[in-house]
Amino acid sequence: MKVLAFQQLPYRYLPDDFAAHNRSVVTPSYFDLVEPAKMHEAHINFLDEMMHAARVGFDGLGVTEHSQAAYDVLPNPNLELAALAYATQAEGLTPALACVGRSLGKTKEPLRVAEEFSVIDQISGGRMIAGFPISLSYDSNQNQGIPPIETRPRFAENIALIDRALTEPKPFAFNGKFNKHPYVNIWPRPAQKKLPVWAPAVGNPVTLRGILERDQVFLYPGWFGPRQAGSAVFKRYWDMAAEMGRDANPYRLAFLQTVAVGETDEEAHRDYGPHLQNGFRNAFGAMTMQDLGLAGYHDIKGVEAIARNPVDFGLVPKMKTITYSELVDAQCCIVGSVETVAQQLIDLVKDFRIGSLLLMTQMGSMPTPLVKKSMSLIAEGVIPRLRQAWKDNGFEAEGWKHEWWPTGLS
Amino acid sequence: MSGDGIKGPQRDEIVDAWGGEIKVRVRVAGEGPPLVYFHPAAGLYWDRFLDALAEDYTVYAPEMPGTTPGDPYAIYKLDSYYDLLLIYEEVLRKLGLTGAAAVGQSMGGMVACDLAAFYPDLFAKLVPLGPCGLWRDDAPSGIPDLYTSAPQAMPGFLFHDFRTAPGAMEMFTPPPNPEMMPAFIAQVTWQQGVAGKFLWPFPDYGLRKRLHRIAAKTLILWGENDRVTPAAHAEDFHKGIPGSQVKVYSACGHILQMEKLHEATHDVKFFLKA
Repeated sequence: MKVLAFQQLPYRYLPDDFAAHNRSVVTPSYFDLVEPAKMHEAHINFLDEMMHAARVGFDGLGVTEHSQAAYDVLPNPNLELAALAYATQAEGLTPALACVGRSLGKTKEPLRVAEEFSVIDQISGGRMIAGFPISLSYDSNQNQGIPPIETRPRFAENIALIDRALTEPKPFAFNGKFNKHPYVNIWPRPAQKKLPVWAPAVGNPVTLRGILERDQVFLYPGWFGPRQAGSAVFKRYWDMAAEMGRDANPYRLAFLQTVAVGETDEEAHRDYGPHLQNGFRNAFGAMTMQDLGLAGYHDIKGVEAIARNPVDFGLVPKMKTITYSELVDAQCCIVGSVETVAQQLIDLVKDFRIGSLLLMTQMGSMPTPLVKKSMSLIAEGVIPRLRQAWKDNGFEAEGWKHEWWPTGLS
Repeated sequence: MSGDGIKGPQRDEIVDAWGGEIKVRVRVAGEGPPLVYFHPAAGLYWDRFLDALAEDYTVYAPEMPGTTPGDPYAIYKLDSYYDLLLIYEEVLRKLGLTGAAAVGQSMGGMVACDLAAFYPDLFAKLVPLGPCGLWRDDAPSGIPDLYTSAPQAMPGFLFHDFRTAPGAMEMFTPPPNPEMMPAFIAQVTWQQGVAGKFLWPFPDYGLRKRLHRIAAKTLILWGENDRVTPAAHAEDFHKGIPGSQVKVYSACGHILQMEKLHEATHDVKFFLKA
């Protein structure tokens, strides 16, 4: 069982009625909404909190990429990850550094992504976990100008180029539709022989098939309600794995879940609730359906499936006015005392065969003291219970090895 | 697709193109000299304007590869806008349509103009209707807003007054059988997505540099209140295409062939006969 801390970098000082009057992506007015000193604070708070997670003993630190977004100011998370690589190294801490990840349906510079991952792996002494989401539609199509129907073909070509760039021993020519390079021979290469790859996805069968074919980890985000939307997706994944002859190693599945832990249930709901509510409202709640899929972004069969049965998107359409109690009921966030949170996570891990957990420990306006408190309680109380449950539920006895964990310099 | 009270296409030609990789469907109606119609981003929608043209012409309306129902992945055989132009030229040549008149709406107008520019002998006459293809900093393309608008905003986006534009309401009426809605939504969305390969984020492939090559006699029509392709571009097309005529309809949006059905039909037929 591996447990990582995952954070985005929101601007924490958005007005209470932000979602009612603004989009969270593409068009929010930077100079109207942001005070320079507070944006600097948001960046430092993020780094301070991630260092705290490393110090209290999380197995790793996770980040992802969004551009032109008020709820996640990480247009290149590798920059923050590089800072954390050195800062942890300097303190003798060795958490895994998971970038889950760089959006390949969006990037026009896939070799730069390969180079940056290699650099972070070198600075950290082989602690990098890579991730390559396709990208959300708004990010590749609206922010980057990629025609929606080219998002997936670009993703496919970019990942093929990166795979080769990381490992091929001799310089090679690459003649693709989107990338043409006469000589590819990146310096540096990763410190690890093979970079583990965790691929975030929301359950599109074509994407899952690709993840299994490439023998990567499927990382599922629980923001839409892990049981409401997730059950069908987890079943789809494990059925497909069996059909494709992949083993049932729970480390093939990682799960991202927002959690907040307090001394008691009551205290946790009181302290974290308002921040979590505005966090969800100001992110997904302030996006349009077009932000999640311009015409051509989804395959024609995918559009029909969504039109027939929007379950895969769970609570997304309701996010603008969602209440904290609705979020808790659907487990979009798991909040409470150590016992309350641990038990829900233990049940999810057992029911869905989850090998790695990324716990999202900050959201919305949640300030640093609360984040650190939650992280400490998770480390002291929740993680030991999770490790014990791993023994009790039989996964340890099954003898699985984590084949997708950084191997360091060895 | 087409609406009630509309005669629509009478037959199809299926043309093997692109080295046998793509079967291009061309919908055909009418009798008389050949007229090729190039459809807009939403896909081929057979309307009263095409019915009217079919009274005097044999109208050939090729469907962009990927937009024909049942063959969505044909679009993946195309890598670029120039592949599209080559495929259309091949289709027209195989159907013996060299020397035909060409009418194109919006994206279809850009395609018709570029075919005329690349192949100056291809069309005898050219009628772009609110065509894309140019860029002006002071009159930017409305394509990004078109694609990012919610479906409910579409009628207001495409028409100056969709409540009075003939045929506009029925264009947005979903199929009567609700069971068919998911497939309908999927097809309509995919067609726009296919067109988006060539339109997103805005369609500027350098047509401005090529307008001077157009030898076909050209009539440029535009709606004054066009929110997709700004009417300011009409003058640029007019100045760029040698010997061209231009007419801008007032109180008219992007789909001028519906919103100004009678005027546009009259003006186009008059121009083509001259």
